[in-house]
Amino acid sequence: MSKKLESNPRNIPAAPFVNDVVEYIGGQDAEVDSALKQFQEMAAKYRYMEISLLQKKKSLDVKIPDIKKTLAMVKHLNNNRESSNKTLFELHDTLYAEAELENTDVVYLWLGANTMLSYKIPEAIALLDNKLKLAETSYKNSNEDLEFIREQTTITDVNTARIWNFDVKRRREKREVEEK
Amino acid sequence: MSSLSMLGNEQADATEEVTWEDQSRINAFSKYNKRLEDIEELLTDRKTEREQLDDLSMELELADEDAPVLYKLGDAFVSISLEKAQEQIEADGESLDSAIEELKSAADDCEKNMSELKVHLKSKFKDSINLDR
Repeated sequence: MSKKLESNPRNIPAAPFVNDVVEYIGGQDAEVDSALKQFQEMAAKYRYMEISLLQKKKSLDVKIPDIKKTLAMVKHLNNNRESSNKTLFELHDTLYAEAELENTDVVYLWLGANTMLSYKIPEAIALLDNKLKLAETSYKNSNEDLEFIREQTTITDVNTARIWNFDVKRRREKREVEEK
Repeated sequence: MSSLSMLGNEQADATEEVTWEDQSRINAFSKYNKRLEDIEELLTDRKTEREQLDDLSMELELADEDAPVLYKLGDAFVSISLEKAQEQIEADGESLDSAIEELKSAADDCEKNMSELKVHLKSKFKDSINLDR
């Protein structure tokens, strides 16, 4: 019998736990191949989910520092309205040019999809703050999901090992009986 | 996936039944093991950052007090006063320190839980379970 069949908050299904091997495969002499195959497929599915989540996490690993950098710059502009803003900005990988920033209360944020939109500085800060929070929540969730998947993978591993061991033992006992 | 080998082996001496409780312990162990791995990675990164920051503030001690510093913000450099740069570095350093502390205590938690789980699991499964990293 399997138990604890639920899912986690992001609807990743839980792996069934095999309580009793004999009961699970359906009798003392039942074959184990279908059960083994079932868990193999399950493990592959979890592996697939794990890979896609790891990719998501990796992209967030880039995105979060990016938002932080932008936010730091916008905040700097906000805090230094009056003083002169001499900057060196990047023209190319190894080439920087000097620029003096005019006193401004508008910044342009790159929204992706070849679009830039102008925002008043406080609005820009609010928007970036919000984006940062969202990205961090998503990062946290991905981590939780990954841990959950790892647990399910462990369950399928243990299930497989137990059914396998049961089969090996059964065969050995049969052989011993025949030899007598 | 290195931590948990399959229970038993070809000789199938693992006659011990695995209960849901055991399974939960194995899951927890595996989870903490991976978490610890991640934490250690982050911790190394944070410590490097901290060292770089220390170097930086040492460097700035020697800088000319009246000359503005070019400080890297995002992809550009802005010129700010030495005092401001030092304040910024101080603040960054503090937030790094608290991050490092947090990671360390999380790592300790993992290790504590893992050694507890190990005692339980080893006493039941003896050598048919492999709990090393």
